[in-house]
Amino acid sequence: MTARRMTEFLDALAAGQRPKAYHADPEDAEVLRAAIALRAARPGDAVPDDTFVAGLYERLVDESRDPVASNVRPFRMRRSRAALIGIAASIALIGGTFAVTEASHNGATTTSAIQAPPANVLRTATFETSQGHALGQIVVHGGSPGWVFMNVDIPTSDGIVKCELRMMDGSVVAAGVVHLHNGSGVLSKEIHVDTGRLEGATLYSLSGAVVASATFA
Amino acid sequence: MSPVPEPSAFRSPSDTGDHDAARLRVVDADTYTDWESVYRDNVNRLYRLMYARVGNRPDAEDLTSEVFRTALGPLRLASSKGEVRSYLLVTAQTVLASHWRRTLGVSVTSIDPESDLDALTEKGVPDEEGDAPQRAGKILAALPERYRRILELRFLEACSIKEAASTMEITVSNAKVLQHRALRMAAKVGLEIES
Repeated sequence: MTARRMTEFLDALAAGQRPKAYHADPEDAEVLRAAIALRAARPGDAVPDDTFVAGLYERLVDESRDPVASNVRPFRMRRSRAALIGIAASIALIGGTFAVTEASHNGATTTSAIQAPPANVLRTATFETSQGHALGQIVVHGGSPGWVFMNVDIPTSDGIVKCELRMMDGSVVAAGVVHLHNGSGVLSKEIHVDTGRLEGATLYSLSGAVVASATFA
Repeated sequence: MSPVPEPSAFRSPSDTGDHDAARLRVVDADTYTDWESVYRDNVNRLYRLMYARVGNRPDAEDLTSEVFRTALGPLRLASSKGEVRSYLLVTAQTVLASHWRRTLGVSVTSIDPESDLDALTEKGVPDEEGDAPQRAGKILAALPERYRRILELRFLEACSIKEAASTMEITVSNAKVLQHRALRMAAKVGLEIES
């Protein structure tokens, strides 16, 4: 079964099509990696299509004009640690230095908010269900103090979900609860853990069932 | 908490001594003037990086889109180009890792924000195709003739398995076995090249 799915994956790759998802064995990874390395050398496709580049640009502009299109809502943090998260971000980042500035762009007002933090202190991951559906994002920042931000979208759900942070040594740290309104909620707070040793995070329903989990890259 | 800082891309009249000039945006050569310039300067390179990691255009386009949709909003333009690119790479790393978890459940390729930084800088892209052809060439050159041929037909010349079998005058079943063995050897060669 797995061999057949891998063959289909390779067929799609060779044909320049999007391969279908399947549950791969770890040994498959080496073969697929080699196939990708060879396929990436085929002349032509390594250069982005002009239509794609222009189309993505237009979508980003459109989304910046339509805050409803974003799944990021403005929120307020305690201790004046506030940031207005703008435009077309599918996740929001908050950190030691905040700024809300406006930049003019083709007549449209966009919001550029936060200074890009050093790559080694910022970690992000996506909450996914066991079926692979993305339900939100989590961002941790390893400053002093550290902080965590997450946004969760569970359509048709209200109530709360609990979040626990998983450390690499197997221990867990409660991060807090996310209150959902019309299926959406955010949580932001200071954390006092070594964010470099964080493995991931898990969302639980009130009954204790796992809703989604995220693993930091 | 720190007060909201002034973006460094703007300077007060006292900085210049000229009120009219102060209305103009002073641009540091090492910063971006607006998010459009962030996009224009990085979209091609980011796509190429993603394409090299997934090997197909539809996924590379989707992942590139996801990186920009995730990263552009929170970016502060006063950050240096290096900081912006580092941030884009951290985002790309997460987006790619999530892609593999979602599609295969195992990590096939990855992005290292430090070692892959050159991919987003001018010096990192010698030509439009990047270094993939050279790398593929090294791998193929190390393979036996029949292994090399089946992989060339399939992945460089876009032949179906049936077409490749016909070209090599073997059965389709044999072509599948040959391809699998060739890829296993190519994987080993690839690892040797990296190490």
